[in-house]
Amino acid sequence: MSGNGAVWGRVRGRLRAFPERLAACRAEAAAYGRCVQASTAPGGRLTKDLCVQEFEALRSCFAAAAKTTPRGGL
Amino acid sequence: MKFDYLKEEVGSRIADRVYDIARKFSLALDVGCGRGYIAQHLNKETVGKFFQVDIAENALKNTLEMEIPTVSVLADEEFLPFRENTFDLVVSSLSLHWVNDLPRALEQIHYVLKPDGVFIGAMFGGDTLYELRCSLQLAETEREGGFSPHVSPFTAVNDLGHLLGRAGFNTLTVDTDEIQVNYPGMFELMEDLQGMGESNCAWNRKALLHRDTMLAAAAVYREMYGNEDGSVPATYQIYYMIGWKYHDSQAQPAERGSATVSFGELGKINNLMSQEKKSQ
Repeated sequence: MSGNGAVWGRVRGRLRAFPERLAACRAEAAAYGRCVQASTAPGGRLTKDLCVQEFEALRSCFAAAAKTTPRGGL
Repeated sequence: MKFDYLKEEVGSRIADRVYDIARKFSLALDVGCGRGYIAQHLNKETVGKFFQVDIAENALKNTLEMEIPTVSVLADEEFLPFRENTFDLVVSSLSLHWVNDLPRALEQIHYVLKPDGVFIGAMFGGDTLYELRCSLQLAETEREGGFSPHVSPFTAVNDLGHLLGRAGFNTLTVDTDEIQVNYPGMFELMEDLQGMGESNCAWNRKALLHRDTMLAAAAVYREMYGNEDGSVPATYQIYYMIGWKYHDSQAQPAERGSATVSFGELGKINNLMSQEKKSQ
């Protein structure tokens, strides 16, 4: 890491805020998790974007939470 | 140092196994000692002098307090700077999974042991962090169409027996333990792993883990493995191995056909033993 670490600090700050924002999206996360888990049952097959709808719901919830929760410190 | 909890726990369990052997070891060696997690649990009656070897200078500079006199040596596990037949005891706790050439490291340990010396080691087993490995694998497949390794492959228990045998050890015992630690979520687990110095270091690792994939993996982790209270468990499977360096005094398997009693008489063993006492 060169310079004053501003970029790295921002990235770290975003990462540190993940758990809090994820906690705001329990339902969407559970729905996505269930979809992926279902594909692991016998006869199921996990392919790319199999659960894209659930993931998009999770991602928008997460982005909305990011707007309302403060970013974690450097 | 709040990330040491795992190494502290396993260090004390190794020390237990050292105490179980009714012997005094005048010279002992700790390979990959870290801050000295094993030595701090042992006393001067059991071990006379302890050599602490690690490849990380910082670990040796931050040694924990212990009552046994120690000598710290900066060295690579694959090139131990000691003569043959030096040590009565060699221990190693949760550091061998970082060694590149494990067969060679075990051979080195066997080499520096005295005949009738013993090696007691603890290594991470194949089930370690399986929840993390599976969650990342599934999430990466769903999000990106494929996956790359993010958790090191750990030694399987059969391989451990073979490795120790090949290195020349005798009378092997391997037993396994599982320590389960609960974390608030996947990110907290990964933060602790980083704090422990256990971040992924494989040559073929992908340098970048997409934020989306991390988010997906955290969701999968909680849904598939989460506890009732919302926390998530992480499994650390530990293999404890004990191997001896050959010495004439050690018990050998008896000759075929030399048995004097048969297994069928096991029920009458009390009678048989009192008969023997009478005849002596």
